[in-house]
Amino acid sequence: MQKTAQLRGQILDFAKKYATIIVLVGLIILFSILSPYFFTVSNLTNVFVQQSYIIIAAVGLSFVMISGGMDLSIGFQMSLIGVTTAALMKWYGVPIPLAIIIGILLGIGLGLINGFASITLKVHPLIITLGTMTVFQGASYIVSKQSVILNLDPAFKFIGQGYVFNYIPFSVILMVVVILSANFILTKTYFGRHVFAIGGNEEAARLAGINVNRVKLIVFALTGFFVSIAAMVLFARSGSAASTTGPGTEFTAITALVLGGISFKGGEGKMIGLFTGVMILAVLGNGMQLIGMGTYAQYIVKGIVFLSAVGFDTYQKLSKQKAK
Amino acid sequence: MKPILSLKNITKRYPGVVDLKDFSIDFYPGEVHALLGENGAGKSTLIKIISGAIKPNEGSIVVFDQEYNHMTPHISKELGIEVIYQEFNLIDCVSVAENICLGETFGRFVDYKKMYNRSLSIFNKFNIAIDPNELVRNISTSHQQIVEIAKAVSRQAKILIMDEPTAPLSVSEVDSLFTIINSFKKEGVTVIYISHRIDEIFRIADKVSVMRDGKYVDTLQTLSTSRKELISLMVGRSLSENYPKNNNVTNEIALEAKGLYGNGDEDISFHIHKGEILGVAGLVGAGRTELARLLYGVEQIEKGQVFIYGKEVNIKSPKQAIKYGIGLIPEDRKAQGCFLDNTIKWNISIASIKALSKHFIVNRKKEDELSKKYQDRLQIKTPSLEQKVNNLSGGNQQKVVVAKTLATNSNILIFDEPTRGIDVGAKQEIYKLMVELATEGNAIIMITSDMEELLGMSNRIIVLSEGRLAGEIQSKNFSQNLVLELASSEL
Repeated sequence: MQKTAQLRGQILDFAKKYATIIVLVGLIILFSILSPYFFTVSNLTNVFVQQSYIIIAAVGLSFVMISGGMDLSIGFQMSLIGVTTAALMKWYGVPIPLAIIIGILLGIGLGLINGFASITLKVHPLIITLGTMTVFQGASYIVSKQSVILNLDPAFKFIGQGYVFNYIPFSVILMVVVILSANFILTKTYFGRHVFAIGGNEEAARLAGINVNRVKLIVFALTGFFVSIAAMVLFARSGSAASTTGPGTEFTAITALVLGGISFKGGEGKMIGLFTGVMILAVLGNGMQLIGMGTYAQYIVKGIVFLSAVGFDTYQKLSKQKAK
Repeated sequence: MKPILSLKNITKRYPGVVDLKDFSIDFYPGEVHALLGENGAGKSTLIKIISGAIKPNEGSIVVFDQEYNHMTPHISKELGIEVIYQEFNLIDCVSVAENICLGETFGRFVDYKKMYNRSLSIFNKFNIAIDPNELVRNISTSHQQIVEIAKAVSRQAKILIMDEPTAPLSVSEVDSLFTIINSFKKEGVTVIYISHRIDEIFRIADKVSVMRDGKYVDTLQTLSTSRKELISLMVGRSLSENYPKNNNVTNEIALEAKGLYGNGDEDISFHIHKGEILGVAGLVGAGRTELARLLYGVEQIEKGQVFIYGKEVNIKSPKQAIKYGIGLIPEDRKAQGCFLDNTIKWNISIASIKALSKHFIVNRKKEDELSKKYQDRLQIKTPSLEQKVNNLSGGNQQKVVVAKTLATNSNILIFDEPTRGIDVGAKQEIYKLMVELATEGNAIIMITSDMEELLGMSNRIIVLSEGRLAGEIQSKNFSQNLVLELASSEL
C-alpha cells in the first residue's frame, strides 16, 4: 500500500518537473495519430527549419530575461539588421561576408544602445526597449526606403535554405550551435553565474562584488549578437528583405520562453526549457495546420495553451509554498 | 478568571515533519503573554493557527467560551484577533489613515475626514506625531510599525499578537511601544508577544511560555524566573557562558578612516586593529549602515581618507572593496545577502566565482571543495549543498552569507546586525565564529542594535549619533548607560 503511494508520489513529482516536455511529447503523439503527414522526416525537418530563427532569437532574449530584464525591440532589431545587410549586398556592392559581419556588428551595437540606455536612464528595460523598438523601426524603413530588396544572392540564401550533406539544413546546424554555446556560457562560465545572480537578486549581486552594469551591457550586446544571427537566417530563408520581416518575433519568443520556464522576474531558466517552449508552439502550429484548422482558431488554442502553462506553473509554486 | 483564548491539544503535521505536537495553552484577558522559542520551535505555526491562516490536524481552539475546530481569517477578525507580523501588511502607496481604516466602510462613499480623525485620535492616545495624510512609503519603518498597531486598535482588537515587534525599532521607540502595550493591558486587551530579545520580555510581559520543537514546555511568571532559566528551557540545555571572549587584539591597525563624509555621514574618524572586534552602536538612523556602505564602496565617499594596513585606498565599488580585503555581511539577509532561489553551494561561491574559474570556465571541483569547506567550518546544517537557501532557517541562511563573504578571502569584515532574527543556538555559533575569525587575525566591525551583544562581544565600541561620531568607549568603561547617553547625544 505504502509502496504504491510512494510510487504515485514519485510519478507526480516527475510529471511536475518535466511538465512541458510531457506536453510536447503528448502533442507529437496526438498529431501523429490525427494526421499521417505529421510524423514524417520531411515535415519534422520543415518544423525545425521554420523554427530555427525563432530559437536563435529566443536564445538572445533569454539572456536578458534571465538577468531580470526584457527586450521588446528584438523584432525590429532583426528588421533593421536584415535590411541593412541586404542593402549593403544588393545596392552598395559590399561582398557578402563583409555585409554579414557588418550586420552582426550592427546587432551588437543595437544591443549596446539598449544596454547603455537602461543603465544610464535607470528605467526598466521593458520601457527602454519599447522606446528603442520605435527608433529601430524608423531606422529600418529609412534604410530599406520602404521597398522590398528582391533576389538576394544564392550564397547568402544558403544560410536559410541550404543543406549540408544534402540532408541537414544549415539553419538547423546554426541553431544547434547557438543553443549549445548559450548553454555553455550560462552554465559553465562565471559570466553565466553573474547573469543568474543579477536576475535573482540585483542588490545582493552588487554587494557580492559583481559589476552589475558591465554584466548588463554584455548581456544586451550578446542579445544583439544572437538576434543578428536570427536575422540572417530569417532573411536568407525568405530570399528577399523588407522592413516588415522580423517584427512579431519578440512576442513569439517571449511566449516560448515563459512556456519554457524562463520567468519575467529573472534568475532562472534553462536552454532545454527554451527549446521545449518553442517546439510546443511550433508543433501546435504545424499539427493544427495539417489537420486543417484555420489560422485564427490556431491563435486561440496557442493562447489557451500558454495561459494553462503559466497557470500550472504558478499553481505548482503556490502548492510548494503551502507545503512549507 | 476564565481564559479568553485556549488552544487544546493542537497538532499540526506537514508532510514529513510535525510542527506542533499536542500543544495546549491558555491566554487570559488583560495579560501580556510572551512566547519564547528558538526558530523552528513552532511559534509562527501557532500564530497562523490562531489567526486562521492554517488549519490544525487535531485539537480545538476556544475563544470566548466558543469552541472551534479551526479558525478562518474571517472568524478570527470578527472575534477581535489581530496579528502584527514581522513583515508589515501595509499598502505603501496610500495614506496612513487609509491603511488604518482598511477594509472598513463608513456609509456608501469613502469618508476621508472620518478616517483622518479616527487615525489622529489613535495617534494622540499613543502620544506619537504621525500625519495620517502622509503616504506609508514616506514614513520611517518604526512609524510603519506604529501604523500596524494603530490598525489593530482601530479594529478594536481583543487579542493582539505581535511577532518580533521591536526588531525595526530604536531604543526610545521601544519605550513608546511598551507604553502603548501597557495601555492595552489596562483596557483588558490580551497581548501575545513574540520576541527573541529576552530582556524585553522581562520588561513587558507578565507571563512567558516557552516552546521547543513544537512542544509546549512551560509557562512561568516573569517575576519569578530568570534569563538563565528561560534560555535553558528554550534550548533544553543550559548555556554556560553567553559571549565568548576575544583576547586577540593586536597593535597593528587594519583599517583607519579619517574625516569621512558621504551618504549622510559627516566627519567620521575611527580605526580598528587586526584581531579586534569593534562594536558600532547608535540608534536607528544614526548612520551606522550608511558608514558600512561607504567603506564597502556601495556609496561614494565625498571627502576623507581610508587607510588599509597603512596604505591609502580609494574604494569606488564593492568589487574594489573585496579586492582590498573588505567583506560585508549586510543587514537584510534576504534582500541583500542571499540568492534565495539558488542552492547553498551556488550562494557560497558566487562572490568568488571568478577566482574559481580559469579561462572563464568555472572549476566545479574547486567550487565543491570550497562550499564543502565552509559548510564544515560554519556548521551549516543541511542534508545537501544542493538545497535551496530559501529552505534554510534564518541562522543557517546567515551562515551561508558569512561563508560567501569569507570565500572572497576578506580580512576586514563588517557584520551589520549579524544575529538579527536568528535563534539562540545559531547566535552562539555566530559569536563563536566571530571570535575565531578575530583570532585568525581578521578585523571585525560589528554594527548591532542588540545591547547585550554589543557589550558582550566588542573589544571597543564607537557610538554614532545623527551621522556623526559621538564617542568611543574602551572595554573597561563598557556600560549600557554610557552607550545610550552617547547614542542620544546631540552633536
